[in-house]
Amino acid sequence: KQPNTNSERYEKSTAKLYLSIIDDVIDSMRELFLDEGLEDRVLDDLRHLWESKMMQSKAMEDFRKNNINSSNFVLQLPATSVVIPASQNIHSFPVKASTLATFSLPAALAYPVQIPAGVTLQTASGQLYKVNVPVVVTQAPASQQPVSHLAQKATERREAPASQPAAVQPHPILPHEAEPSSVPASSVTQPKTSLAPSQESCLPQLPPEPEGMLAETEPSPQPEPVNLSVTASPCAQLSDFHNSAEEALTQLDLDYNYSDLSDIVQLDGPADNSDLEEGDEVPLEENDFLGIINAEDPLNSGDDVIEQDIPDLFDTDNVIVCQYDKIHRSKNRWKFHLKDGVMCYGGRDYVFSKAVGEAEW
Amino acid sequence: MDSSNDEALDIIVTNVVATFRTRCHLNLRTIALEGTNVIYKPEVGKVLMKLRKPKITASIWSSGKIICTGATSEDEAKLGARRLARCLQKLGFKVRFSAFKVVNVLAVCSMPFAVHLIDFTKNNRPIASFNVTCCSLLVFLLLFCAHIRSSVPPSVALGPNVQNVATAVEEVYPLLFECKKPLCK
Repeated sequence: KQPNTNSERYEKSTAKLYLSIIDDVIDSMRELFLDEGLEDRVLDDLRHLWESKMMQSKAMEDFRKNNINSSNFVLQLPATSVVIPASQNIHSFPVKASTLATFSLPAALAYPVQIPAGVTLQTASGQLYKVNVPVVVTQAPASQQPVSHLAQKATERREAPASQPAAVQPHPILPHEAEPSSVPASSVTQPKTSLAPSQESCLPQLPPEPEGMLAETEPSPQPEPVNLSVTASPCAQLSDFHNSAEEALTQLDLDYNYSDLSDIVQLDGPADNSDLEEGDEVPLEENDFLGIINAEDPLNSGDDVIEQDIPDLFDTDNVIVCQYDKIHRSKNRWKFHLKDGVMCYGGRDYVFSKAVGEAEW
Repeated sequence: MDSSNDEALDIIVTNVVATFRTRCHLNLRTIALEGTNVIYKPEVGKVLMKLRKPKITASIWSSGKIICTGATSEDEAKLGARRLARCLQKLGFKVRFSAFKVVNVLAVCSMPFAVHLIDFTKNNRPIASFNVTCCSLLVFLLLFCAHIRSSVPPSVALGPNVQNVATAVEEVYPLLFECKKPLCK
């Protein structure tokens, strides 16, 4: 199937561009790595990680189209479980009595795929996931990010870190959603209670992060070229999952974790909080000094002066990073002439050499 | 705010300009980078910040002087100014809202009749001046200035505050009335 829509063509060329960038960087790093005494394998791992992360963040379409033969799913089923035919959503299957049944799902798999309990999934990179509960595998809309994936797989793959109570609120986790590295961009198909809030508040970052960072923060290696989403039917598992998700995330050394900020010691300045409770003390001093001025100063923060309503209808992840030729404004009409940039819109990347836009404020 | 005498004239205030001070230095770069809805004009040395709620535009200088334009009433101007000061406070500046002053009010008023500009100028020589190129008339009264166009389009009055403008219109009205054009143009 040829890419015939504009966005599909964009996808292809963007993917090509990114892959070529990755190639260039990796190749030019080769010598450096060798000089440092690192094995080639490390560099290859890095490339793998990078590519897979990148693939997750954009739609997987392009990659699949290029590799029709290779699948992203290899299902290894223990003898007692069922085989899942590729082209259907699953219901019931004949049980294979003998040894492990390996099954590959073709690239053009129709999502969502339901996988019953007790199945071990192996992704293309070789990672194994034993699923304890029925799983639905969907295609991530590419605008969703982690949190959820940690779910059931966490039971097998990850050793949930010992302590680390889940004291973290969903919001602070956000900026680093991308960090949980190998974590695939997954989405929960039927968000349940505790999942929903963190899911909605998830704000994905721009695609690829350098793997070097990830390797440091995550002890357990988990490359995931595949989008897996997990819905657990039993609700009991949700709280576990939620906890393990938060635990796993707090395990990462995140600067943005707000609870950490409280650890910062204040060396000078008044012992108040950042919400300026203005008006009262200072004008008095002023009046002492200078005598008159306007004593009617009081910017009672909050009282009189209500804050700007709708300040953040701007929490968007659609960003454009580029250079500009010309930006023009008349009253509230804006015109943009941009060049050489990347637009991340709806989770997808679009690279351009020229872009023209108009907007009303 | 209407003119008293005969019919009620609708005076529509279209713009109120006010200034105030924050009594602290403002780092324009910080405002430009971290503020919302801002336009940085480094060549002039100011930052424009636009507010939606009272629809106003403020010019912010690093000295802490701020000019607020676009409000449609004096109260709105003050409210907008305070909101703006609050925004700056939230950006981390030690803002103290002071020296608020309405400096200019622009109002539009439609006379129910057309005015004979030339006659008017002759009759009111010292205060009226006729601008041939614009074919319009400027009337300078004590504290305000009225810009009057010849026929139906509204006249524009400019003064230091709204009350003043209303008074001005009242004062000019009779003068204009004297020189009104007959109804059939």
